[in-house]
Amino acid sequence: MNVLIKSATIIDSKSDFHNTTQDILIEKGKISKISETIENTNNYKEINLENLHVSQGWFDSSVCFGEPGFEDRETIENGLKTAAKSGFTTVAMQANTHPIIDTNSAIAFINMKAQNNAVTLLPIGALTKNSESVDLAELYDMSTAGAVAFSDYKKPITNPNLLKIALQYASNFDGLVCSFPQENRISGNGVMNENITSTSLGLKGNPSLAEALQVARDLYLLEYTGGKLHIPTISTAESVALIRNAKKKKLDVTCSVAVHNLCLTDSELEDFDTHYKVLPPLRTQSDIDALIEGIKDGTIDMVTSDHNPVTIENKKIEFDYADYGTIGLESAFGALQTLFSTKKTIQLLTKGKSRFNVQSSIIAEGNTVDLALFNPDIKYTFTTSNIHSTSKNSLFLNKDLKGEVYGIIANNKTVL
Amino acid sequence: MSELSVNHLLGIKYLQEKDIQLIFETADHFKKVINRPIKKVPSLRDITIANLFFENSTRTKLSFELAEKRLSADVINFSAGQSSVKKGETLIDTVNNILSMKVDMVVMRHPNPGAGVFLSKHVKANIINAGDGAHEHPTQALLDSYSIRERLGDVAGKNVVIVGDILHSRVALSNIYALKLQGANVMVCGPKTLLPKYIDQLGVKVETNLRKALQWCDVANMLRVQNERMDISYFPSTREYTQQFGVNKALLDSLDKEITIMHPGPINRGVEITSDVADSKQAIILDQVENGVAVRMAVIYLLASKIKQ
Repeated sequence: MNVLIKSATIIDSKSDFHNTTQDILIEKGKISKISETIENTNNYKEINLENLHVSQGWFDSSVCFGEPGFEDRETIENGLKTAAKSGFTTVAMQANTHPIIDTNSAIAFINMKAQNNAVTLLPIGALTKNSESVDLAELYDMSTAGAVAFSDYKKPITNPNLLKIALQYASNFDGLVCSFPQENRISGNGVMNENITSTSLGLKGNPSLAEALQVARDLYLLEYTGGKLHIPTISTAESVALIRNAKKKKLDVTCSVAVHNLCLTDSELEDFDTHYKVLPPLRTQSDIDALIEGIKDGTIDMVTSDHNPVTIENKKIEFDYADYGTIGLESAFGALQTLFSTKKTIQLLTKGKSRFNVQSSIIAEGNTVDLALFNPDIKYTFTTSNIHSTSKNSLFLNKDLKGEVYGIIANNKTVL
Repeated sequence: MSELSVNHLLGIKYLQEKDIQLIFETADHFKKVINRPIKKVPSLRDITIANLFFENSTRTKLSFELAEKRLSADVINFSAGQSSVKKGETLIDTVNNILSMKVDMVVMRHPNPGAGVFLSKHVKANIINAGDGAHEHPTQALLDSYSIRERLGDVAGKNVVIVGDILHSRVALSNIYALKLQGANVMVCGPKTLLPKYIDQLGVKVETNLRKALQWCDVANMLRVQNERMDISYFPSTREYTQQFGVNKALLDSLDKEITIMHPGPINRGVEITSDVADSKQAIILDQVENGVAVRMAVIYLLASKIKQ
């Protein structure tokens, strides 16, 4: 694949061309030349887009695609197309499929379905067999097939001894263990954040205490065991403080936050709209302030769209019965840009790569091409016309966002 | 003003104070009607109302049905036990099927908070919420306030304590909204395990000592402990609950004033309230039941008049 990108502003703080507008010549999947003006002598396909900006391709550490088993929610093929259209060149896919991805052969199946795609799909294997939180799955065997981390998605590891053993065992082969931060016996039947809104709606509350207890427990376990722990999608001020303290102690812990937990509070639920039913739940403004502070000081390592397609049949029902989750790939960039500068947004969307062993490819001559293409300045209202996913369950519908994505160039393919 | 500001009665929090006054003035009229030898008016002969009860109810269902019949509406009844809900039909489909038979108004009780709000967005009918989970039970709060007004002359400025299981109670929430809207002072009292952690942010006082609460109030609304809604045990035993939060004659007599006792029913005699209190002249429990019919007639009449427009 040979392409000439015309007048693109490069956003890559590690590149010599950072913050400059250049033409970029791409030949056989590599950047062969970067210069202010490049003549198209070979008559390559030209990319000439309004206010075009490029950065290193983005990484999402948690997406769900429903395949195998829930293809009505999303397929791997369309999920990866959605990722590409949203600027992501690498996504880590959760194991919450049917059957659960908890064996070497299941990992191989995912790899087979995703091969030869512009987007690199990294499978996450289940931490426990069938994600039942009873016995460890064959973690090493899955790692040899390409599993980049081990997670039971939103199912917390209830037994602390099981997490202790998982951390110890996975450290044998440098495996990354993920533990969803929720103490189920405190969260109970809570369906939204416990606060004044849950009280006024009569909905059962899920207190921030449930998250803090689990994070504190997991950090104590990590301090004892060593190993690598990733705490996905924290949502509370207490979690930020606990993890900040753990990092001071040099524990090998990382964490992420979902984009929507940075943007919206639980007051969105006042109308019982199930689009806002997510896990962890939308919290309060003081939680958001603490999360943003955690991003600024590096306590929070990465943001994730926490992309989770849910069919309309499981959303357009009574609140208690509706499934948790929102799609997020399509809105991630535009939503983050309402909070952060373009440079910071790009940093947040690329920062998690190293934790999941994803190679970064700096925008420089001779390097493999791995690019996101976007217009950071355009403002618009997010509607279903912006959604590429099979399921349309976005909590950003009708919200004002900033920045639209054109697509990606990666794995020697262009998706625009 | 002669009409309500809303097309549905989904909760007290969606009403304005003037709506409540209009409902009460209309209920005054209907209370006279139901105490006449002929207890009926022909007002709603052209209106069909479906009572959809997705959760068990005896008094509320009877009260609504009587209210509808005394307004001469056509009435159909439906409960989840005999329905296709158990076959997997969605709420929207169930209600739309019933509405296709030319039903004008829906009275719905449902176990899930927000079910009425949800339905109002997806079907074309006026909806009266007859209780949705732990969210609201607006007609109960209206009849409670109406009964206070009847006994004490006014709701504004009165001190009202709601005692018991506030955590699982739609009656408590609707009463808090209704009483606050009318200018009453509201307190909730119960074991801390049954008080929502952030309830004070609704502008109510919080008390865990029953004697102090009763000493403060003009009216005590005693709620039933809703064991059926509890996933775990919130107190060790009924005996202990009664020791701390049950109202008995000796306790009432030891106060330096005579307070009014209310209860939305059904009563657990000897638990939250003893028989001698429930049957005393301080209690207005049966007045509440009677007023329930008049208030529901008023609500139905006022919403139906909006359909006719």
